[in-house]
Amino acid sequence: MTAIPEAGACPRCRTADVRQAAASPVPGRWVIWACQTCWYVWRSTEPATATEPDQYPESFRLDPDEITAAPRMV
Amino acid sequence: MLPPYEDLRGFLEVLERERQLLRISRPVRPEPDLGAAGRAVANLDGATAPALLFGNIDGYENASVALNVHGSWANHALMLGLPKETPVREQFHELAARWDKFPVPVERRETAPWQEITLSQNINLFELLPLFRLNPGDGGPYIDKAAVITRDANAPGDYGKLNVGMYRIQVKGPDHLGLQSAAVHDLSRHVEAAEGRGAGLPVVIAIGNDPVLSLVAATPLAYDQSEYEMAGAWRGGVPYPVVRSPLHGLDTPWGAEIVLEGEIAYGVREFEGPFGEFTGFYSGGRSLPVVTVRRVHMRRNPIFEQLYLGIPWTEIDYMIALNTSVPLYRQLKEAFPEVQAVNAMYTHGLVTIVSTRVRHAGFGRVVGLRALTTPHGIGYSKLVIVVDDVVDPFNLEQVMWALSTRLNPEFDAISVPRMYEIPLDPSGHPQGITTRLILDATTPKAPDNRGEQGQLITAYPEAAEWERILKDMLR
Repeated sequence: MTAIPEAGACPRCRTADVRQAAASPVPGRWVIWACQTCWYVWRSTEPATATEPDQYPESFRLDPDEITAAPRMV
Repeated sequence: MLPPYEDLRGFLEVLERERQLLRISRPVRPEPDLGAAGRAVANLDGATAPALLFGNIDGYENASVALNVHGSWANHALMLGLPKETPVREQFHELAARWDKFPVPVERRETAPWQEITLSQNINLFELLPLFRLNPGDGGPYIDKAAVITRDANAPGDYGKLNVGMYRIQVKGPDHLGLQSAAVHDLSRHVEAAEGRGAGLPVVIAIGNDPVLSLVAATPLAYDQSEYEMAGAWRGGVPYPVVRSPLHGLDTPWGAEIVLEGEIAYGVREFEGPFGEFTGFYSGGRSLPVVTVRRVHMRRNPIFEQLYLGIPWTEIDYMIALNTSVPLYRQLKEAFPEVQAVNAMYTHGLVTIVSTRVRHAGFGRVVGLRALTTPHGIGYSKLVIVVDDVVDPFNLEQVMWALSTRLNPEFDAISVPRMYEIPLDPSGHPQGITTRLILDATTPKAPDNRGEQGQLITAYPEAAEWERILKDMLR
């Protein structure tokens, strides 16, 4: 069984409103987290560049202005 | 199972028999293994690359993921019931011929395999389906090869306006989805029609379908053309089997593996993306409609079919290749019967190659200009290359020969500035606006007398027989 780390801030937008969205059907393998601000979703077993705010690629990080300013398509 | 296939499983059996499917039973991680394998299989020879079927995914019980089902010309040919070696140009003409059978009325059935299990409470798609991130910069896991089915709230009884389309779907929460539809897409018209009446829009999302239905869902049909009735045509005139969805009464593919029923929420837009798109670039974040899932219907141990997309070519390029080329061909041929074939396979037709007989001087560029005003060309066809009828537009070596020896840039490069195009083209300036370029690589005709138009090299007619002999020897 893999140790499941606690979620901190969202790796992408760094806000704190993060919820656990799922746990692996085979118990203890992973959990899935979902940010309620930018809707970034990640699995606890992904590479650190997907799960750790400090390692998340800078070019994909979001600040609150970018989230509210995203263009509508329909 | 013989073609046409009624479901994904029947097609996978044939792919396996034809050595066009690899079963992968070793344990794999959802990330990064599945996305990495999707990229890797697209790096293989596009003539023969296999589909992949994964059966041992970390954290899931009995989950299966199918990738690259359409991702080679061999698989594309088998989908149509043709020998897997069938040349691309022959597949193009076969699809064009089947188009003439449209419309073929659907076959209604009462029950479907996906009715085996139904969930209406505690829906958690992350646990029910082996969802995974395709590319590292994606905002989350996506469902990107499903048939999305909606009706026009202003014409609910008009079967032609029932839409079956393929749109990217971000899974943002256990029963919460983001759904992209560009302004020009039929789904956007349905969202606008429903919202104009102050209502949300019922939606069915069918995952894991027979290969022809997926191809039709990814085809730019006219707004009032029924995708199901086109699927019947592409099945060689065999009606497409559908079953009404229990909650919404929307016609749903009989053979689907998984069926989600839900609503596009009235008036709600929410951040979505980025997502690695068919252009080979990540789209930026968008403010898009959201879906709440109310029911999940599925087979026991369903196969989750997904499509990897990245820097072209990947599976999506086969999904929007000949089904993009044929409508352009038909529309051009209406105006100019001299047109022989159209290759609009490059990034959904941003580059379009037209082969035509030349009736009079300046004919090639007239054909090229017409391509710009076809329904699909209006948004795509940024670069149109026009070649003589002796050039196979699917044979890029021949197209390069035509450009090398027929094109004089002083006369044959025609540009049209400030034209509309799809905003997903990253070179637009501003996004959604571009100059169009026609390269007329046909042979000039009198009175446009120029160049030394020598005689084409002829070959002995026996070459065709020798080609057959050599191919047989290589089998």
